[in-house]
Amino acid sequence: MIPETMSRQERFEAAVALEMPDRVPVMPLMTAFAVHCQGLTQGEAWRDPDKSFKAMLDTFNDLGGFDKLYKPNLYWPMIGGKLCSAPARNLIPGRDLPEDALNQIDEKELFTREDYDRLAALGWNAFWDEHYEKMSGRSIERLISTQNRLLDRYIKEVEACHSQGIFPLFGASVDSSIMAFSMCRTLTQFTMDLYEVPDKVKAAMDASCDDLIQNALDVISLTKIPLVFIVLERGSGFYYRLDIFEQFEWPYLKRYVDAFVSEGLTPWFHFDTDWVLNLPYLRQLPRGKCVCDLDSMTDIFKAKEILDGHMCISGDVPASLLTLGAPEKVRDYCQRLIDEVGKGGGFFLTTGCECPVDAKFENVKTMIDVAKTYKGKS
Amino acid sequence: MSKSILKDAFLGMRRQEAIDLVEKGLRSGADPFTILKECRQAMEEVGKRFETGEFFLSELIYSAEVFKAVSSILEPDLTSNWPGDESKGVVVFGTPRGDVHDLGKNIVITMMRAQGLTVHDLGVDVPPERFIERLQETEAPILALSALITPAFISMRETISLLVEEGLRKNTLVIIGGGVTTELVRKEVGADAQTLDPTEAIKLCRRYIPDRSV
Repeated sequence: MIPETMSRQERFEAAVALEMPDRVPVMPLMTAFAVHCQGLTQGEAWRDPDKSFKAMLDTFNDLGGFDKLYKPNLYWPMIGGKLCSAPARNLIPGRDLPEDALNQIDEKELFTREDYDRLAALGWNAFWDEHYEKMSGRSIERLISTQNRLLDRYIKEVEACHSQGIFPLFGASVDSSIMAFSMCRTLTQFTMDLYEVPDKVKAAMDASCDDLIQNALDVISLTKIPLVFIVLERGSGFYYRLDIFEQFEWPYLKRYVDAFVSEGLTPWFHFDTDWVLNLPYLRQLPRGKCVCDLDSMTDIFKAKEILDGHMCISGDVPASLLTLGAPEKVRDYCQRLIDEVGKGGGFFLTTGCECPVDAKFENVKTMIDVAKTYKGKS
Repeated sequence: MSKSILKDAFLGMRRQEAIDLVEKGLRSGADPFTILKECRQAMEEVGKRFETGEFFLSELIYSAEVFKAVSSILEPDLTSNWPGDESKGVVVFGTPRGDVHDLGKNIVITMMRAQGLTVHDLGVDVPPERFIERLQETEAPILALSALITPAFISMRETISLLVEEGLRKNTLVIIGGGVTTELVRKEVGADAQTLDPTEAIKLCRRYIPDRSV
């Protein structure tokens, strides 16, 4: 074991600030995996949040503990608070899906192309106040009440975690502009909109950005965890050419970062899909203030070349390796990450996106143990 | 109708223009099969530009929607004058049991159809037995399995085991794809190929059915 001279929180802060921590911080992004590890079905865990909270803590302890807890429970939206993401329906195991299936987003058109003008006129929050019931048949008050109930629960669970020396990762979660709009229109329809009515999309995004930022800040003011988890997937070079990114994602992401960093918060970019083309833009953001979290589709070694000395990188033990690989392969890959991406600091060893439900326990344990025992070549 | 104008509409991501051109062509008595062939050639060019990095996934998505729109306009004329089997090959495609994601699958299927392949889309959460039944019914030589979450790996492996049991394995090319698949997954489940690239998937099909390729 590497002698630990920092607390979990200090270790994490050192990595974000691009300093050398006593050892590389580590975290599996686990939710459904923890439920599975404790012998519960996903349906049981969704029906009984006390059981799923306990499953999260028990699995945390069974794995020997680590530096941040991704989430203390199975929340959707990620945590409560008003409209930080597209108000898409979540399909719940045991209710909408088989008992032990994973929850899924029911991606449907939440508004039509004709609604962009209304969004541009009203902004994000007022638009949903007007549109939500028409779209879903349920009142916006009911949605907000559910979101606030989840938020209250989140706050209590965070306090319970803190009392045990466990630190949940984020204080709020917010969709990026493209993510929010794409989830409202569906990937296909949103893509058609970008080519056919770009000015309308742009005007609606312009009018929505401040609301999305403020909604996240409102949640943070209650959770008191100074990190904003920004959900990014669909603005990447995997989907769109850079001129689309420059117009519809990057200006708003910069506004998010300006707003959050000025409040002393850490923006955590959760980059699903391949972002390698977009990474050079991140060098325009403040040094040592943000985290670039990769899911294994982006070449993390290339990311290190691009962001070295500028931004902390988190990632990216692949789901397939955790599920199908042998522990020694996991160890080798984690050691390579520490040697190459961790060189000089600014690295957080995590699973590439969420830890798969059927990951082998010994593989996840190996990943955590490597961070605790392997100092790296640097 | 000028062939290059229609192609330009596809490549320029101008859906309405492509629709107008096809409708105008039909009204002026153009052969619907010739128009369809031109649309397929345009889609093939989209695929080539994607391979070179000039086009992105969004251009595949957009042009696939244009192709779907013009196909539905052409369909009545094509059906009434069908000259026989013009398929360039048959594929059975689905998301295996345990996974209900279909975004990537649907994009690849549209691209495949646009390039002349006949695709039997079994949808999502498909049990192994259904894949086998459809392969037997259609005598399709290609099975494509798409997944976004890891529980689908078990179903992939079960499906391929069942292919072996039913004596279909050696005559079936099995391609897997989707965000969570890797070369490790390909080896573990026993598939022949793995790709995240729609145009690569089409190339794999073409290579396997060389005598009928477009």
